[in-house]
Order: sequence, then C-alpha cells, then structure tokens
Amino acid sequence: MRLLRHELHILTGAYALDAVDGRERDRFERHLHRCQPCGQEVLGLRETATRLAVAVARVPPPRLRERVLTAAAATRQLPPLTDLSPASRPSRRWVPRLAAGLAAAAVAVAIVLGVVLAGRQHQLDAAQARQQAIAEVLNSPGAKIASRPTSLGGSVTVVISRQLGKVVYTTAGLPPLPRSKVYQLWLLGPPRTRSAGLLPLPVAGRTVPLLAAGLASGDSFGVTVEPAGGTAQPTTAPIVDIPLLP
Amino acid sequence: MSSADLPARRPAPGPGGDDRDSDLDWLLHRVARGDMTAFEAVYAALAGPVYGLICRVVRDPAQSEEVAQEVLLEVWRTASRFDRSRGSAQTWVMTIAHRRAVDRVRSASAQAQREQKSATAAAAPADEVADEVEASLDRERVRRCLESLTELQRESVTLAYYGGYSYKEVAGLLSVALGTIKTRIRDGLIRMRDCLGVSW
Repeated sequence: MRLLRHELHILTGAYALDAVDGRERDRFERHLHRCQPCGQEVLGLRETATRLAVAVARVPPPRLRERVLTAAAATRQLPPLTDLSPASRPSRRWVPRLAAGLAAAAVAVAIVLGVVLAGRQHQLDAAQARQQAIAEVLNSPGAKIASRPTSLGGSVTVVISRQLGKVVYTTAGLPPLPRSKVYQLWLLGPPRTRSAGLLPLPVAGRTVPLLAAGLASGDSFGVTVEPAGGTAQPTTAPIVDIPLLP
Repeated sequence: MSSADLPARRPAPGPGGDDRDSDLDWLLHRVARGDMTAFEAVYAALAGPVYGLICRVVRDPAQSEEVAQEVLLEVWRTASRFDRSRGSAQTWVMTIAHRRAVDRVRSASAQAQREQKSATAAAAPADEVADEVEASLDRERVRRCLESLTELQRESVTLAYYGGYSYKEVAGLLSVALGTIKTRIRDGLIRMRDCLGVSW
C-alpha cells in the first residue's frame, strides 16, 4: 500500500502535463483529495508548465479574434457555483478522516466523483443542449431536407422544421478561404435579411450541424463570402440559396 | 476543470509574482460578469500563448485554430469557475488549452497520423524549442532552464507537454521503463520550477 501511494505521488509531474489517462487519472484525482502536498505540488508544476506554454506563444491569425468575439457574444455564460451545488468547492472540505459508517463513505465518494465530473459536466451540458435542439428539429413532424451544391463547389444541406421555425444546416467540401475571408450564413427573407452567424471551420471537410431559429415565411438560406468577422448585411452574391419556407 | 480538481491554497503570487497575473485575475472576474471589453483584454493577453501551445501540440494549423477558438470561448463561458486560490488566471487558461489540445490529438481519428509522426517526434521538440526561443526574456529563461535538465528529463517533459503524449507513450518513444519516465517527468518539472523561480 505504501508503495502504491508512493507511485501515485510520483505522478504529480505527469498529471500536471496532462500525460496521465483514463482510470489512472481518475485514481490520481481521487488521491489528490487525500494528499494535500500532492495537490500543492501539482499547482506549482502547472504554473511551471504555463511558462513552457508562454515560451512558444505565437501570433494567431487575426480572424481568430473576430470569430471568438462573435461566438462569445452569442454564448451564454455559466453561473458561478453556489454553496448548494454538489461540486461546489468540495476540496476545501477534506474527506473526513474519522468518517464512520457507509453513509459517510458514500458521501465522500459522491463528492469526489462530483469534482472529477464537474469539469467535464459543463462541456457535456452545452453539447447535450445543442444536440437536443438539433434532434428536436430533425424529429419534428413534417421536417424537410434539402441539399444544394454551391457555386464554389461543395454543398450545403438543411433540415427545415416549419413547425419550430428552425433550420439545421451543415456543409461539406466548401473550399477553404483565405484568412481575410469567412463564410457567413443568412436567412434571406422578404421581410429582411438576418445573419445566422459565421460558418465554423470544418473538420475533415464538413462542418458540424448547427441551428438557426426564427424562420419567417418566404425565407431562404444563403451563404456568402465576407470579410473576416462578418458583415451586417451580405456584400457579395450568395454562393447557394435554398428556399426554406416557400 | 483543473481548478476544481485541486486542493485549496491561500492566494499567493503567481509565477514571477508580477502585476500581470493580478490584472488577469481581475479581468477574468469582469469577464465572468459578461464584460466583453475585459474579455477582449484577456484575449489580447492570452491568445498568443494559447494558439502557440495548441499549434505545438496539434501541429495542423487549421485544427489548431479551431481548438484555440474552442478554448477561448470556453474561457468566456466558464470564467465564473476560475478560482484564484488554485492557480493563476494564466495557468487556468493554459490548462484548458493544453487539455483540449491533448484531447484532440489523442482522439481515435488522430491516432494513425500520430503513429507515422512518432518516429521523428522524439528528436524534434527540444530542438524546436531552441529554434523558437529567441526574442523574449521569458523564452530565454525557459530555454536556459530546459538546458539545465538531464537529457532524459528534458525529453520526457517536452514530449509530454509539447508533444501531447501520455507518459506511457513517452516511455515507448524513449524505450524507458514506465516508472523511470514518471520520475523523470516529475524531477524535470521540479527542476524547471526551481530554475524559473515559480513561487506558487
């Protein structure tokens, strides 16, 4: 057992560099809650790793800034943890040394799991909410699918729910643009034309399915090439134009 | 996220103990309240290190940009979870960045590509560090400190951090026993910490 603890402690370095995977990482994270010196060592080693990161800093492409700021403006932030949430600052309260009985042990396990999971939970929450909204459209009665090639190559596919007034869209094989340009999505309507945001960078040539809401009668879905950061109204002709609610 | 995994510690000066860290702390607290101007300032301060680190790990520029975007958006979204008592603001952000980069390269689809690269990867990182390190004092200090490590310590640390390899992969790349690698990574990092005067 002593040997095991010792070996776990040795992992502080690898853990600080995210070089421990799977079950071993979970086990080490549990160990961290019992071993204050280990935790403090990890903090110091992470600060050290940060220096290694700063040493390889590189100026990002200018369009990244616009993308991040545009996305942030459209992204709701997480509220702070409150005393009532199960994962709130659990590590300040060490697993009680004298905890007697199964109940106490179960609580301890729950707290530790809560901590381990808390970090990943918010990522899951956001991804799940997004997927749920998309699934809602795909499963809504009368949903229609349409796919059109663009004038630059590649294609755009949309699934339209008239009932929900939403459209899910994805692209495949659109040619990469120079850094100064982005693909911008539009709901082109007779009442007015609204931006539906910038197309994210593709993964293996495809963009993840995304959702646009607030469809109005007569809208069609358009994509234009715009300067990095996007524009308020289209400045070029759409490379594709798909009627959504004729 | 990282800060939740770690035991509490009283606030202390961050690396170097300069004002930059406390400025960033303050900015992150503003960001948590939805202050877009503060977020722009955080971006200006940290986008370079975030993007540089991700490029180093992920390599592919388009994917690196994508991961960097995710990370910076994550900073905006989860700013309220930053806890000063568990590390500096800069480290909070860089920890998110490194984890995301590592997640990306360790995903199944990246595996085949990495297997091809692994043969050449072993020799590369330390040299590249030397190449890129020129301008700033920070870089110079990091380079000097890396040089003060034993070769095995340096290779273990750089392959794990810049290469994004797990310590088991590092052991495979260097043909060294697992226990030895764990120890070398820890010893190497501790030496770096002391050499750089990290006071956390």
